[in-house]
Amino acid sequence: MNRLWTTFRYTFLSLLGQVLGWGSGLAVYGLLIVAMYEKMGAQKEQLEQLIAGYPPEFLAFFGGDANSLLTPAGFLGMYAFSMMPVIVGIFAVIVGSGLIANDEERGRLDLILAHPIGRNAFFWGRSLGVLTAASAILFLGWLGFCLLLGSSSLGFTWGEMALPFLSLFAQTLVYTTLALLLSMLLPSRSLAAMTSGVVMVASYFISSLAFLDEKMEAVSKLMPYHYFQMTLSFNEVNLAWLFGLLAAGLVMTGIAWLRFIRRDIRLSGEGSWRLPFLQKSHKVY
Amino acid sequence: MKTSNTVQPGPDWAIQIHGLTKAYGKVRALRGIDLQVQRGEIFGFLGPNGAGKTTTIRCLLDMIRPDGGKALLLGLNPQAEPVAVQARTGYLPGEMQYYDNFTVERQLRFFSDMRNGRVEWRYVGELAERLSLDMKLQIKNLSKGNKQKIGVVQALMHRPELLLLDEPTSGLDPLMQQEVMNLLRQANTDGTTIFFSSHIMSEVESVAARVAIIRAGEIVEVAETSSLTRRTLNRLTVRFKRPVEIGELSSQPGVQILSQDGGNLITLQVAGDMEPIVRALGSLPVLDLETERPSLEEVFMTYYQK
Repeated sequence: MNRLWTTFRYTFLSLLGQVLGWGSGLAVYGLLIVAMYEKMGAQKEQLEQLIAGYPPEFLAFFGGDANSLLTPAGFLGMYAFSMMPVIVGIFAVIVGSGLIANDEERGRLDLILAHPIGRNAFFWGRSLGVLTAASAILFLGWLGFCLLLGSSSLGFTWGEMALPFLSLFAQTLVYTTLALLLSMLLPSRSLAAMTSGVVMVASYFISSLAFLDEKMEAVSKLMPYHYFQMTLSFNEVNLAWLFGLLAAGLVMTGIAWLRFIRRDIRLSGEGSWRLPFLQKSHKVY
Repeated sequence: MKTSNTVQPGPDWAIQIHGLTKAYGKVRALRGIDLQVQRGEIFGFLGPNGAGKTTTIRCLLDMIRPDGGKALLLGLNPQAEPVAVQARTGYLPGEMQYYDNFTVERQLRFFSDMRNGRVEWRYVGELAERLSLDMKLQIKNLSKGNKQKIGVVQALMHRPELLLLDEPTSGLDPLMQQEVMNLLRQANTDGTTIFFSSHIMSEVESVAARVAIIRAGEIVEVAETSSLTRRTLNRLTVRFKRPVEIGELSSQPGVQILSQDGGNLITLQVAGDMEPIVRALGSLPVLDLETERPSLEEVFMTYYQK
């Protein structure tokens, strides 16, 4: 337990700067959005005219239509939550892909794992560290969205405001663990980050396009973003979606763990863009 | 790991390796290594770059998984009990990288924490002082030599039973190389078994009781350092009182005449036993005789020229 705790502590401390940066950024954004709602409310007629002029394709990308955007939930969905999985996803992809592969590619992992940590404790300590960091970022973001709720006409409680963040946490977990898994399977960290980033952006676009084109619906069901409950969750949380995403994250973490404990640790400089079947020569040490 | 179970843990052995194989794709890095290192000895592991030294050491520490064969460290299987092995082992990798934003002290505290804090910090300070390592410096500002010193300190800081060192003096100036060798000798006196790879023959020769020579993933020789240098080539320079006929000398087994200066001065190379040549010289008017032992480097090169 000590070994896991030590790894967890160092991992979380190494991410503390990112937690404060991303978390305070989200919090400030939340404060501005909630404050902005009152301004918007005062100019409702102009806003209705403005939204009526938007093409439906544009509105679909923000997860709504002309009518729903003027409701508190629709407003938060359009201006705050629709892009949130992509924004927080950037953190997830960067941190997830580098969680182990970064130290490995820089040649530090060899020496770290020569200490009596064990691959199991190391892997789970790091995974819990990044999970805690992601939770802390979302917690700070949630605080930012909540602080002005008392004086706002949005009409949500602090508890209700936590619901889309729960769904956002599940999204973050999926992209973090996807990037982690790919970093264990692909030959380099950058390739893992790029691939999971592409999945994340494609997920957003395909799921958004599915609002307009029913043919995209089947494909979008394969995408994590489809299961993001941004403002729907104010009314009712779809627990199957929520736990489905959490389970997907756990399964990917489990596969990444199995791969990590069974494979060779690479030396610095062994990571590359070349895929294994394209490699012509191997370094021998 | 496909293993043969012929290796039985023995109390006298710090390292037991039997039939260890490892391939990277089509490249066979280790082709059935057999090696045993006694507890308490300093063992040199010689070979040029790419011979398989680092691969062997990384197999012993469970960084890479062998394709076949078996290894035991301090009687433990590193694949089955890596944490137990690593708790009793110190490791210095060939190439070291640290967290650039850490100070030396923070990095060493990190390594100490990775050992559950079972490190005597005063001893760490002593090691750093002996190596003239400033603990307050940031790692990103350190030279390669200073980074190597951190590696040496972290390997020794918990007074391990077994040290696995991959090129321990790499990047150090001659004075520091000497100091590191002194530290290793001292650790050995305190009971630590030392297994270190190197291609600097003089340092291996100065500290190692036994050496193994690895070539293309195979052990080609395991011997006591002294016997290795003794038993192979010897060079003789003989000065005679008057010119002599060298026919009898050159016909001795293993003798090769390297140079001859008017019949009074001859330089010979003798492979193997010296007795026949000494007998032959006994019947000649020898004025002066000089023998020169080959360095370990010359011995080493003979294996690589085979």
